[in-house]
Amino acid sequence: MRGAKSAKWVAAAAIIALAATACGGGDDDASKDKGNGGSGKAGGTFRLGITEPVSIDPYNAQESEGILVTDNLFSGLYEPTADGQVVPVLAESKQVSADGKTWTFKIKAGTKFSNGEAVDAESFVRGWNRVAQKKAASDVAYHMAGIAGFEDVQSGKTDKMSGLSAPDATTLQVKLSAPDFEFDTKTTHTVFSPVPKVAGDAKNAAYNAAPIGNGPFKMDGKWEHNKKITLVRNDDYGLKKAKLDKVEISILNAANSANLEYQGFQSGQFDWARMPTPQLKPAKAKYEPQGEWLELDTNGMNYLLPITDNGPLKSAKAREAVSYAIDRDAIIAGVFQGMQTKSTTILPPVFKDVYTKDLCTSCVKQDKAKAKALAKEAGLKPGTTIDIGYNTGAGHEEWVQAVAQQLEDVLGVKVKASGKPFAELLADQQKPGATGAYRFAWGADYPTPDNFLFPLLSTSSINKDDSGKVTGDNRGRYSNKKFDDLLSKARATKDLPARNELYKQAEKVAMDDVALIPLWNRTQLRLVNTKKFADVKMDFHEDPNLAELSLK
Amino acid sequence: MTELVTGKEGPAAAGPTAEQQGAEPTVVRVSQWSDIRARFFANKLAVLGLFILVVLVIVAVFAPLLAPFDPLKQDLANTLQAPGGDHLLGTDSLGRDQLSRLIYGSRIAMIVGMASILVACTIGIVLGALAGYFGRLIDSVIMRVADVFFAFPLLIGAIVVILLMGRGVLPVVLSLGIFSWATFARLLRSQILSVREMDYVHAARALGASQFRTIRRHILPNSLTAVLVYATSNVGIAIVAEASLSYLGVGVPPEVAEWGNMIAAGRDFMGVKDFMWMYPSLAIVVTALGFVLLGNGLRDALDPKLR
Amino acid sequence: MGSDVERLVMGRYVVRRLGQLVVVVLGATMVLFACLFVLPGDPVGQIAGSDKARDPAVIEQLHKQYGLDKPLVVQYGSYVGKLAKGDLGQDYTQGRPVTEILAPKLLNTAKLAVVAIVFDVIIGIAAGVIAAMRRYSVWDITVTFSTTLAIGVPSIVLGMIMQWVFVIKLGWFPLISDGTFNSLILPAFTLAIIDAALVAQIARSTMLEVMGADYVKTAVAKGLSRPVVLLRHILRNSVIPVITYVGISFGALLGGAIITETIFNWDGIGLALVTAIQQNNNPIIVGVVTISVAVFVVLNLIVDLLYAALDPRIRLA
Repeated sequence: MRGAKSAKWVAAAAIIALAATACGGGDDDASKDKGNGGSGKAGGTFRLGITEPVSIDPYNAQESEGILVTDNLFSGLYEPTADGQVVPVLAESKQVSADGKTWTFKIKAGTKFSNGEAVDAESFVRGWNRVAQKKAASDVAYHMAGIAGFEDVQSGKTDKMSGLSAPDATTLQVKLSAPDFEFDTKTTHTVFSPVPKVAGDAKNAAYNAAPIGNGPFKMDGKWEHNKKITLVRNDDYGLKKAKLDKVEISILNAANSANLEYQGFQSGQFDWARMPTPQLKPAKAKYEPQGEWLELDTNGMNYLLPITDNGPLKSAKAREAVSYAIDRDAIIAGVFQGMQTKSTTILPPVFKDVYTKDLCTSCVKQDKAKAKALAKEAGLKPGTTIDIGYNTGAGHEEWVQAVAQQLEDVLGVKVKASGKPFAELLADQQKPGATGAYRFAWGADYPTPDNFLFPLLSTSSINKDDSGKVTGDNRGRYSNKKFDDLLSKARATKDLPARNELYKQAEKVAMDDVALIPLWNRTQLRLVNTKKFADVKMDFHEDPNLAELSLK
Repeated sequence: MTELVTGKEGPAAAGPTAEQQGAEPTVVRVSQWSDIRARFFANKLAVLGLFILVVLVIVAVFAPLLAPFDPLKQDLANTLQAPGGDHLLGTDSLGRDQLSRLIYGSRIAMIVGMASILVACTIGIVLGALAGYFGRLIDSVIMRVADVFFAFPLLIGAIVVILLMGRGVLPVVLSLGIFSWATFARLLRSQILSVREMDYVHAARALGASQFRTIRRHILPNSLTAVLVYATSNVGIAIVAEASLSYLGVGVPPEVAEWGNMIAAGRDFMGVKDFMWMYPSLAIVVTALGFVLLGNGLRDALDPKLR
Repeated sequence: MGSDVERLVMGRYVVRRLGQLVVVVLGATMVLFACLFVLPGDPVGQIAGSDKARDPAVIEQLHKQYGLDKPLVVQYGSYVGKLAKGDLGQDYTQGRPVTEILAPKLLNTAKLAVVAIVFDVIIGIAAGVIAAMRRYSVWDITVTFSTTLAIGVPSIVLGMIMQWVFVIKLGWFPLISDGTFNSLILPAFTLAIIDAALVAQIARSTMLEVMGADYVKTAVAKGLSRPVVLLRHILRNSVIPVITYVGISFGALLGGAIITETIFNWDGIGLALVTAIQQNNNPIIVGVVTISVAVFVVLNLIVDLLYAALDPRIRLA
């Protein structure tokens, strides 16, 4: 029914398509020479809809939408692949000292920003210092917290991190305040991008709205807030050039963007789209046979976050009882139309080297008897109230209600599910004396297990302030010395396989304690116009791989 | 009566704004009760309105007897069932029976609709009477405060109060009441201003009746008629406002069987599972219509000249 | 109007009303400010849309930047100070000026309101006039019945039905509102229908009243043709209450038609408000409410003045 199109609509789509082809046609000859081989043709305009990003300037680009733009405007030292590997971009080599505190990167010579300025080691130093400054109040600056001198720049004492230096144009040296053998992995985040001199301070309205970068694409005009962002191919790009001529990004209303993206895809206005949950089934039936359906478990996870130091879920047994009582399969089938994947680990499957399927035994299948027995041992009885908090207006209402009912039915407890605005939910989790459980989701900023285990579960990430408020991201207050020790050991291990082995052990310790209750993976579904484009994939940030895809 | 004017622009405001109500008062003349009754029942639409509301009240009161299922009982194996079979109006995305939720929804609608208007009426009558009778400084202060509340679009004002109090029936009732009293106060005040100058009130005062007694015995009964009519038609508006709040996700909690929640849950299923939003929509329309018809009928019966 | 005395009275009245207007806007923003201030949770405590808590150092810097570290009174004082200069502060998500964010949205809302009012008046007056002229005819009954029905249909329901019929079933309009006139029609129509019903009722009853008035009867008796009488007297007289109604209604529409904008995804200030509430973006919430209250009060004043100008019987007190 939804596919019904008006003549007008179809006409409009046809015009857009014509314009796109005309545009592609015009540039074809010129760009064919520049495109560096590959199977597909150069040219074409890729169109998609996103919601308004917080920022497209690397100093504060943070969510999938902002990073979509920033990642294509800038090229850094390394980049993550969709399957969690790290590959070099501008880095020619890396060297880390035996103590893990000094990193030296060799940078590819001869590449330029789109304004002609050279990309050298100094431009990295400039970009990183710009982010760390106090005035920037950057949400992503904390990724640099390990660099020596970061604190002084954050507190406003100075504006240059003492740990950064550029001995020559192609050498970048980074001194860290603590050992970190994964610093190269962290630099895959767009916050570690180089910037040209014109970038100035972080708060530079002109640059914020039209960043000049060194990436495969450049801005065409400036960011028209709540309307659109247009990217065009950077023909002077020093690495493998993009094939697309242009990327048209429409900014949609956050209120029902998935609906709008889906409608836009159906009417031919978009080449890439998300779908609202109720439409998933009909959409899959229609588009999967045509090869236009893309499905991927990405680097995010959905949990129930239990408060482990207080209240009814203080004991591991109680948490295990809760986990056993939830019928994940029924919720996925009933509420998510079968379009999610149950999760049985703390770490997402995308981290292949450490992924241990079914590590969470209580997640595999609902077991009412086990749940009841454990609840009895843990003292969960009729009359016990478990609070479950979630944020409203983000599509969590239904599954939370389903979980609540399952816990009530199986354990005989009383579940009080309360929906709150986001800020209030966070304040609830942070305040001293919090109890119960919360809806919780986490995604990795860069492909390492550490990015889950350390912030979510290490004792030092609880970080209580003077009033007892939890300011870190370990708001479940999980604390286990064995876990902490394994994590510290992993961080101090240079050898990757050995390090991964320690991460696996640490995950097992936390899972045995049911420190987090895994629910489902972050399964991402997209529609892709494969009739027109080839090699379209979802990247690490859940965005299309604009720099690689091509016209058919 | 656009959505935001809802609760403000009833028949009362259709005429001049408050500033002129003092200048050109409309006085409701109360006739004999038997006449009123006769006129009311002669009006077929008004009787239809009354009938709708009586049925609704019965449904609300006897919901547990009428509903085939527990409105909160989930059945994840039978979600999104089309109408028919066990579930006459189908099931929602948690497998809850839509008909039962619809039936229980009438309770929330009736309770919130009437209670919020009661709150508004009470505040409005007390403040309006004070302003109208005492005049001068008290009048100015009360009317300026009324202006502030009048200027807040109903839904926006209600949302702010609910943010403070959290979601639930009581916050919805209070928030709607708090942002609807201003019109009642204005209406009563202008009624009192005109009634106050009538001969029999002067006479009562000349005979030595106390101020309180004058207000209670002579002024209020005559002024309240207009308020009563306005209140009746506004219950429907309050019900719509309540459903709108829930639709926006700030009304009663999502698990509560309530019409606005049901429409919101069905919104994304438009074109796929239309029954989800259509039945609750119908319920709201019928209810709102019932109150409009009853309100119009009462108005016409009480004062045939206004027709 | 005309004499100096009258002009003086008029002037004083306007000044007094403007004074009241300022009081109302200040009162409303103060109530709102106090409410938002005591709201639980730190509006800048969290990285937008994620479960990540912000770094305490960043929170501190943001508190300073937005003045959140100051007591409520000081915050309100500085808000009023800025407001006097037409500055609504900066939003919490992007740190952009609220006026810059809301200006295009207000324009969108205004477009919607204007078109809705035009639909509203045309449909309403036409229906009312027809009903009154052909009193007790099928036309009259149809109008009376459909207006009653329309008044009973709330905009959540009407909006959903419109979308279902014209977008899903017939496919005449796009679901994606791109700001063009085509995507404006449905939401405007949704807003207009309910109002039009009221306008029709007002127009009808006023028409009936005026038609029965002696001067109109006299005019017809004097031999003037019916259409002339209609144009000269009836329409002119009936238009006053309609204008009053439309004026107030317009003010309310500009305050953001929350439901309609949400259903049709129309990028106006109503939708901005709903989004801001979900994000705890308080400067936007305060901005939208300030704008809508101010617009509402100003339009009320204009309507009162217009009313006085059109109807000489009304004296400004």
